[in-house]
Amino acid sequence: MSEQAVKRRRIDKKFDKIRDTIDTGVKKKEFGSRAFRKMLNNRLAVAGLIFVTVVILASIAAPLICKYDPLKIDLRSTLQKPSAEHILGTDKLGRDLFSRVIYGGRVSILVGLGSALGAAVIGVAIGAYTGYKGGWLDNLMLRLSEIVMAFPQIILVLLFVAIAGQGLMNLIIIFTFTGWGGIYRMTRAQMLSLREEEYVQALQAFGLSTVKICYKHILPNAIGPIVVNITLSTAMFILAEAALSFLGLGVPLNIATWGNIVNVAQDLRILTNYWWLWAPGAAVISLFVLAVNFIGDGLRDSTDPTQQG
Amino acid sequence: MLSYSIRRLLILIPMLLILSFLVYLGLELTPGDAVSYMISPEMLSGVSAADLDALRESLGLNEPFMLRYVKWLGGVVQGDFGYSLSSGVAIKDIVFDRLPATLELSGIALLLSTVMGSFLGTISALKRGSIGDSALTVAGMLGVSIPQFIFGLLAIMLFTLKLGWLPVGGRLVPGYETFMDRMPHLIMPSLVLSATMVAGVMRYSRSSMLDSMNRDFIKTARSKGLPEWRVNLIHGFRVSLTPVIVLIGFRLPTLLGGSVIIEQVFQWPGIGNEFVNAVRARNYPLIMMIAFFSVFAVLFVSFLIDLFTALLDPRVKLD
Repeated sequence: MSEQAVKRRRIDKKFDKIRDTIDTGVKKKEFGSRAFRKMLNNRLAVAGLIFVTVVILASIAAPLICKYDPLKIDLRSTLQKPSAEHILGTDKLGRDLFSRVIYGGRVSILVGLGSALGAAVIGVAIGAYTGYKGGWLDNLMLRLSEIVMAFPQIILVLLFVAIAGQGLMNLIIIFTFTGWGGIYRMTRAQMLSLREEEYVQALQAFGLSTVKICYKHILPNAIGPIVVNITLSTAMFILAEAALSFLGLGVPLNIATWGNIVNVAQDLRILTNYWWLWAPGAAVISLFVLAVNFIGDGLRDSTDPTQQG
Repeated sequence: MLSYSIRRLLILIPMLLILSFLVYLGLELTPGDAVSYMISPEMLSGVSAADLDALRESLGLNEPFMLRYVKWLGGVVQGDFGYSLSSGVAIKDIVFDRLPATLELSGIALLLSTVMGSFLGTISALKRGSIGDSALTVAGMLGVSIPQFIFGLLAIMLFTLKLGWLPVGGRLVPGYETFMDRMPHLIMPSLVLSATMVAGVMRYSRSSMLDSMNRDFIKTARSKGLPEWRVNLIHGFRVSLTPVIVLIGFRLPTLLGGSVIIEQVFQWPGIGNEFVNAVRARNYPLIMMIAFFSVFAVLFVSFLIDLFTALLDPRVKLD
């Protein structure tokens, strides 16, 4: 008890000191928002942000970094160990693995981020409107989202893959239409509490249109959780793409993606003897998803107003 | 309690009807029909259009949509789930043949993840801020970030190919049929399947435990001079466990989805494996029925869990 009291007094003193320095003008006003500064204090989130930025920049600049075409088959140099010429070695068809990992990042990140943004657009658009408006449309969408979310996601995705066929665009569309439930629910819940605020009543009294109130005035207040959700679902969709490609049912195998690179490890001979064929793909998926999750958690901690300090 | 159960049931039934309709509708939008997947392209040139039509007729593919749906639904209710297109075996037989394997695998994974997850989460909460807590938090993060199939591959590499302790996959070896014979086959898949969920349960039970440790009744228990382990386990842990058990319902979709992947990695002859093969072969009746069963299982379990929560917490019923 006394120990806690001492601790509290110490923190109070610290706060007083900070307030004094700001008041007297010794300390300049810090840049960025409070949430941004708090995020920078989270070492894991910053490390994640750096890693993700590097990987994204590398995959954008892929043609500048890679010496080889990721799809070029060279049967004279198959299954070569990592060397100076091929940094990560070559695969069964003599394709350079470093190029495949870098170019694969383009597709995997595109699928992950594209699907997350697509799902967010649908989920936020519907959730913001129906959450604010309520009524039969709200009920209908709620039931619909319940139906979509009752499916184990991978089973629903595979069902649509069987119907629509494999393909990059197909996969993004399928992920979008099977994955909007979570963000819709969250946006709706946010709107339900925000619509009770007094400024909303004021806006209604001014006679603003429903669309303007909910998208322009309320929605920006819910942006924190939405950004967190987009970040975390990007990680989830990258994992889903990898799992589907591992089954051979995701992006067609002739396109390099991280999942397709690891796909070859189903062959036990490759799993043991040719580790460089799959290990870089496996490592980059895991690290990238881990980094994105760290960013998501950091964002959640820094934007959550219930966690002050 | 009775009226609450009936009300919940009345929500469940229309949802199942809509679901069955949607699943059937999805099937109708498939490119090509069942016949084109039954005959190889070489043979197709030798078969006349009349023969193909006759085949479609015999498979009931020419009737109007609603009639086919009602017929199909009537069959499902009576336990007739149709036939697999690729093998001609009744889907009912396939499901009952494969279901025990999946139940065995996912049941053990569910048990393992619940026990390990809530144990680690509780420890983590009690030792909040310690090195162990941070290590567990990072491990939990790794657990949800590394794809399950990579866990599986690493496990196969280590325990089968390097150490030779465990079989690479499969479930039954001819001649060995008791549970103990299956054990070695079961260890790796169930551990790998539970790994991701352990991480989830751990994070959840950690915050649940922290939450319950801050309640007034914990202070009361302490002030009465109870030993610390009693306060933690009997008073704190028991209360924090309820939401963790409720979480089982939310984990069921993850579990079923995960077993699709894991069964493929370890060649475990379960429903998930059958599902992936059906997707590869565009065996639509089988795809549809398995998808429908998985949703049915999820909805039914969440219905049971709703009842269970209502029993535990009377406030729920008033909602």
